[in-house]
Amino acid sequence: MLWEIWGRHKVKFLWGGAALAASWFFVLWRDHGVSPALGEMLGSAAFFCFLGAFGQSLVCLGWFEVDDLSVQFSFPGRLLLKPVSTARLVLVPMLFGGAVIVILFALWAELVWRHVVGFSASDLLWTGAVLLSFFWWMQALAWSLPLPKCRMLAMVIMGMFHFFVWGMPQMRTNALSGWQWPILSALLVSAVPVAWMGLKLMRQGSWEGPSRISTLWSGLRFVRARSRQKRFHTAVAAQFWLEWRRQGWLLPGISGGMALLIVALFGMVTFVIRKVSGAAWQGGDSEMVGLLYMFILPLLVLPLLLSNLLTPALAKFDRLQSKGELPVYIAIRPMTDGGFVMAKLVMALATSALTWLVTAAALLCLAFMEKDTLLSKDGLITPFGPVAFMTGCVPVLLLLIVWTWKNLVAGIGAILTGHAGIGVVSVYWRMIFLVGLFPLVGTARTNINFREALLPWLTTILIACLAAKIAVAIAAFIWGLRRNAITARVIGWIVGGWLVCGLFVAGYAGHVCQTIHQPGLRIWVALGGFLILPLADLAIAPLALAWNRHR
Amino acid sequence: MKFPSPSSAEAVIAVSGLSRHFGSKAALNDVSVFVPRGSVLGLVGENGAGKTTLIKHLLGALKAQAGSVRVFGLDPVLDPVGVLGRVGYLSERRELPGWMRVHEFMRYTQAFYPGWDEQYAEQLLEQFQLDPAQRIRTLSQGQQAKISLLTSLAYRPELLILDEPSSGLDPVVRRDILEAIIRIVAEEGRTVLFSSHLLDEVERVADHVVMLQHGRVVLNGRTEEVRGNHISAVLTFAEPPAKAPVLAGAHAVAGYGSEWRVLFGGSHLELETAAALIGARVVEERTPTLDEILVARAGGKGS
Amino acid sequence: MQLRISVQDGAPIYQQIVEQVKYLVAAGRLKPGDDVPPIRVLAEQLRINPNTVARAYLELEREGIVTMRQGFGTTVAQVKTLLPRREKLRLLAEPADMLLTNARHLNVGLEEVITLLRERDAAMQPESSK
Repeated sequence: MLWEIWGRHKVKFLWGGAALAASWFFVLWRDHGVSPALGEMLGSAAFFCFLGAFGQSLVCLGWFEVDDLSVQFSFPGRLLLKPVSTARLVLVPMLFGGAVIVILFALWAELVWRHVVGFSASDLLWTGAVLLSFFWWMQALAWSLPLPKCRMLAMVIMGMFHFFVWGMPQMRTNALSGWQWPILSALLVSAVPVAWMGLKLMRQGSWEGPSRISTLWSGLRFVRARSRQKRFHTAVAAQFWLEWRRQGWLLPGISGGMALLIVALFGMVTFVIRKVSGAAWQGGDSEMVGLLYMFILPLLVLPLLLSNLLTPALAKFDRLQSKGELPVYIAIRPMTDGGFVMAKLVMALATSALTWLVTAAALLCLAFMEKDTLLSKDGLITPFGPVAFMTGCVPVLLLLIVWTWKNLVAGIGAILTGHAGIGVVSVYWRMIFLVGLFPLVGTARTNINFREALLPWLTTILIACLAAKIAVAIAAFIWGLRRNAITARVIGWIVGGWLVCGLFVAGYAGHVCQTIHQPGLRIWVALGGFLILPLADLAIAPLALAWNRHR
Repeated sequence: MKFPSPSSAEAVIAVSGLSRHFGSKAALNDVSVFVPRGSVLGLVGENGAGKTTLIKHLLGALKAQAGSVRVFGLDPVLDPVGVLGRVGYLSERRELPGWMRVHEFMRYTQAFYPGWDEQYAEQLLEQFQLDPAQRIRTLSQGQQAKISLLTSLAYRPELLILDEPSSGLDPVVRRDILEAIIRIVAEEGRTVLFSSHLLDEVERVADHVVMLQHGRVVLNGRTEEVRGNHISAVLTFAEPPAKAPVLAGAHAVAGYGSEWRVLFGGSHLELETAAALIGARVVEERTPTLDEILVARAGGKGS
Repeated sequence: MQLRISVQDGAPIYQQIVEQVKYLVAAGRLKPGDDVPPIRVLAEQLRINPNTVARAYLELEREGIVTMRQGFGTTVAQVKTLLPRREKLRLLAEPADMLLTNARHLNVGLEEVITLLRERDAAMQPESSK
């Protein structure tokens, strides 16, 4: 069995070795004395090498098999048929893999990390043990969880849990320090039996066929569905249903899972702290609020980050489609390309709204759990009371929904063309543009001469860009109409939506600028809002789809 | 062997001079096909002859690089809604959404076609014995073909395009599908175009036959005419020829010794003349099946 | 009415139908006044193009074997001799040619063919005189 890993992943191990050598070289170079900027770069380079190499060895040694079509992790099925006991099938990869992982980690720590970060022996032991537990649990879940769809989600959640556990010693609350080793030991010890049992059940064929839950569920759903038998009012509604069923749940699901985890963790942590410290806590404790913000931040950032990554998933019609072509059962429907794009846009909006509603609910939960801390006059952000605070949050919520929606649909045209190269170029273009903005803003803030030269021209530049955007959109609409790729109704929705969102952003930003006494910023923020919101992108999308549909 | 091209008003499908290249390979080369309303056209040819490529042009999935394609008088690329709303399509590989259930797929398809006949759909569902609650990916190949056919028939399209409807199916399912197709044909004004390797199906059901070979049309006519224009004959030589005899007008020559079987394209008289020229005598004659004609022309052995 | 269509057979399908119907009538399995299945039904039953069946029925009507009436379907004709004798003989000439050609190829003499014909007629007799 072990020869097989070596045989299949020879090259990857070589790469891993090369990454290790390169990182060692980087840190030694750094130690010889370099400028701080270069030193930072070298440090990050070493870190990325570590991530890459380690991630690779995890996958190689983890004995996963990734099904290309459906991206499932699972135990290599053919091994289940060999005349080997389940215990051996489980223990060999786990022990061997675990040992290799620990040794690799020790190597990396000794050669690389010693120079970059100060490590004490106990830190090393802790990190190594967490890594081992993480590795073993990834194996256990990938092999044993019966519902293939949930496997990935469970693995992600378990990974994040391990991250939190690893961070426990960093949390300055002394009460927790006694708990970290028991928790980790429990994780380590429970991983092996879980893997063993899961594999045993799989070998006996208990996972074959629909599980009892799923049969029950499908029975119920069918009974409900049959009795309703609702027809779709329009073709776009049917297409929306298809898009929603395929990927509508992805973003809300992940955010919701994360939110659940965070709320649960927060509850656990505060409960434990309170129990241990007794009556030492008072309302308005700043450390508590700090802890709360630490939990809230990932919750807020996750949808925004994730929506950027999910654009390709949204643009595809069928997740399993490897090439960019439209699936036959969609391509032959008598609907204009604009109609298909419209369904995607509406689905993106619905998914974005649902995500933020779920996040808002989670935030409310957290706030409710800490109502003494937050809602007391000292702890609250504004002095106007909780109701006003909530009302003030509504436009922010809408803004976040629009922002997430924009992340999801920006660049959709490039991916709808079906040519992978164009999609990649579009992503890189966006990244470069965004990355280029930061130094620009930074320079403008620090360099006064630059700022003086730029500011009078800024309005003109923004207006010119906006005019170009509108011109491109108009041209694309006209071309689309001529080629029957879009209907006037869809154009109306796109332009109307753009105007409404733009006005909302401009209005709200104007209000904020007024409040923070910077009325000069108003015009720039308004123009910027109209520029960022997608118009030309959406105008081009039906044409891109038409290009894909008629090759 | 060309049958007269009717005016575009009458022809449901009018392909004229169509050519298509994929890189350097010519998938279609100056192909012209006319299908009048109410007829059944059988498209035959070996794998890679260009049948699926031609069908994709009819659906607008491919743009014509040269020549023109008109379905119902419309260009399927410029007016997909006008064309696809009246066309039912069964693809070769039954690309269906595996995650949907049967009734969900029916509901989804129904939304696109105002002419969807719910009663007819239910009738077909019962007839095909499909379980509406089942997921499509758990259906057998035959059942997948049936659900694909059901959702193409239920809105009573004027034109039905079938790409290898019987491929990979057992004889029982093939029979069901053929019956469903015949029922469509029996209805007024409905046209069917189907490509198939099962030539006995083509002979039974098709009015006209078009044979493609290396992207060109090599046969185009009524089914009986196509068969009637070929003769499968046995020639006998006084002395066994040294190597395979070359007969003018024959598409295939096979045999050994003094008896050789030929597939000849032409009339009885022409055959006798050609045989006499090479010193052979005709001892047996019959009308070949479409299968034999196809294989002979595809093999290209002969002159 | 049970027919069997063979695609492998040299004859066109509609001709096979015509021949088989004529045989059934001659053998007495289809009597004058019997209903012949509608075009659609027969097409589905045999899994062939309805146009082919229509053509066969037209041919049969032309030869006077059946009569087609709007709304009442197709029935076996009451009177079988609608055609003049000359026409009938002309119709028989083609199958006769085929028979004689085959006989020649098989080197079977005319006298033997006539004997065969008598035998086959005798075999058909008991059914028609039921």
